[in-house]
Amino acid sequence: MSPKTIVHLVDDTTAGGVMRMLDFIETNPEMARLGSHRVQVVARGRLAAPQLDEEIIVSHLSVSWRNLPMLVGLRARYADRTLIHVEHSYTGAFTGLKVRHRTRFFALLRTAYSLFDRVIAVSEGQGRWLAERGLVREEALAVIPSCVDLAPFLALPGRYGAPRIIGAIGRFDEQKGFDTLIRAFRETADPDLRLRLIGEGADRAALEELASGDSRISFHGYSSTPAAEMAKLDMVAMPSRWEAYGLVALEARAAGRALLVAQVDGLQDHIEGGARAVAGGTVEAWREAIETACKTGPALHIGIAWGRISAADVQRTTPELWAKLLNKIAGHHHSRDAA
Amino acid sequence: MPKASIVVPAYNVAATLPATLQSLRAQTFADYEIVLVDDGSTDETLEIAQSFDCDRLRIVEQANRGLAGARNSGIAAARGELVGFCDSDDLWHPTKLERHVRHLDARPEVGVSYSASAMIDEAGLPLGLSQTPRLTNIDAAHIFRRNPVGNGSAPVIRRAALDAIAWRPAGEFIRDWWFDESFRQSEDIECWLRMALTTDWAFEGIRGDLTLYRINSGGLSAGVEAQFRAWERLVEKLTPLAPGFFERHTPAARAYQLRYLCRRAISDGDAAAAATLARRSFQSSRRPLWEEPAKSATTFAAALALGALGADRFQSLRNAVSGRTATSDQTL
Repeated sequence: MSPKTIVHLVDDTTAGGVMRMLDFIETNPEMARLGSHRVQVVARGRLAAPQLDEEIIVSHLSVSWRNLPMLVGLRARYADRTLIHVEHSYTGAFTGLKVRHRTRFFALLRTAYSLFDRVIAVSEGQGRWLAERGLVREEALAVIPSCVDLAPFLALPGRYGAPRIIGAIGRFDEQKGFDTLIRAFRETADPDLRLRLIGEGADRAALEELASGDSRISFHGYSSTPAAEMAKLDMVAMPSRWEAYGLVALEARAAGRALLVAQVDGLQDHIEGGARAVAGGTVEAWREAIETACKTGPALHIGIAWGRISAADVQRTTPELWAKLLNKIAGHHHSRDAA
Repeated sequence: MPKASIVVPAYNVAATLPATLQSLRAQTFADYEIVLVDDGSTDETLEIAQSFDCDRLRIVEQANRGLAGARNSGIAAARGELVGFCDSDDLWHPTKLERHVRHLDARPEVGVSYSASAMIDEAGLPLGLSQTPRLTNIDAAHIFRRNPVGNGSAPVIRRAALDAIAWRPAGEFIRDWWFDESFRQSEDIECWLRMALTTDWAFEGIRGDLTLYRINSGGLSAGVEAQFRAWERLVEKLTPLAPGFFERHTPAARAYQLRYLCRRAISDGDAAAAATLARRSFQSSRRPLWEEPAKSATTFAAALALGALGADRFQSLRNAVSGRTATSDQTL
């Protein structure tokens, strides 16, 4: 396949996952072999599609009624180009918890997704949901896990003892469920355990309030070197209420850290990749999971070792899956031209 | 594999089990199995089940684990892509399974399909009362306040929806849990609310009194406090799933729960309990008053009348007014 010109559209430059994945796309050598990538920021809610010269247009935009006119405009203006949408946000658990008018919401998603030649789910868990709800037609749906540069994490020595220092990394926001984690951690009795919350966000004060009085819990800002933060941890906990994929989980696997994830959405992919599942989302479930993991020691090793291997695999296969997708679309376009 | 499984938890139900099994054997839908879980019965329940003539019936035996534990073992053994539940003193209308299968086939996003129920007495005779829940436009808040599923013999649930909430607690080595076996009351609403908050499977009802729900009279209000404690424990358990949701909806849901318990105390002629429950309901939220003014006013007036007249005269008054002799009313 000859190199293509590819533009990536994004409207939310504050979303950690989206920006970090775009960084991977722009800097990963395998991704560069696919073609030249350019990232363009577009204002949310603008009505007209921007002027674009690339052959392939990849939307990382948020789907909303407000953004719909621009998405329709994109399809209309670039009718002969390849349009791909990557769904970074919406999931089954999100819908269950946050969407009151399901019929209207699903109508929005079906309408928006139908404008694209391909819709990419960032995890198998999310992809199953998109298929099960009939939101994307089968032949248009592909699953390509998000990825970041894992080299600094793979370079860390793995942590194979019984975990003592637990980390939670991400925005301090309802989605991440750190409130549940703090409550659960407070119920653990071992004075040697530590919980480090790493991030920032609107809920910081409320979380600090929840943690006050338990000196084992500490708060830290984001680091410019995430791998250095990871190096301080034995185990990573992700009690998210919803999560399209969870790049932090991928990093924890690559770093050879024990990993506890809520059994929701895209986090389920990491369970197959060696993480321990915590089902139910209750304080009791998390307390139990933390205590069991911290007592377990050697039996965690299999999961940790598998996590490293499988995370390295993701880094390798993500560009391959993109290549396969673009090839298939190119093949399809040729046969259409020939006809 | 059968298309549907009907799970029948059974504990010391020799008297009512034959009628339940006959109603399930008589379903008009053809492709289903019945999974009866004998939950460590000490009466003839197991023998009755074993001698029941029905190819569709499979029997699972276990030491007593309670209703939730029996249902869970039934789910674990069920092979259908749809799983219905029928408690072993209730009856299913012959077309119930067929109607729910059709509903679930037509509406792929619906995970829990339920129906209204008609009440029957201990002899199986109709009481002339129905549970008639709202059927459409059901969100988690409505489930929390009004539990439209109603009773444990009403729903037919998609296997995929059940598996989305399965978990295995520490100390459980045999199979998953779907219902929380640490609850002896409120295990239904705990399960439905957990499903509504953590998955996007929809709840929807179909028309018709397709379940015949048996009311046992007497001793109802004895468990009122325990029942209320179980309900408060489910709120405490599930609050971390959606703190904002519970902050908004708990006062009204608690008011409805207290009103329900108040009605049970009234049915039982327990004036002191009824008055306390009515007052607590009113204090928690006035929402039941403007959402369901007639039913709330009747309940609170009845609580007052019961206190003023005493149980015997109140019962005579009640019978005179209603023209019925029903001794209890579990309609929520």
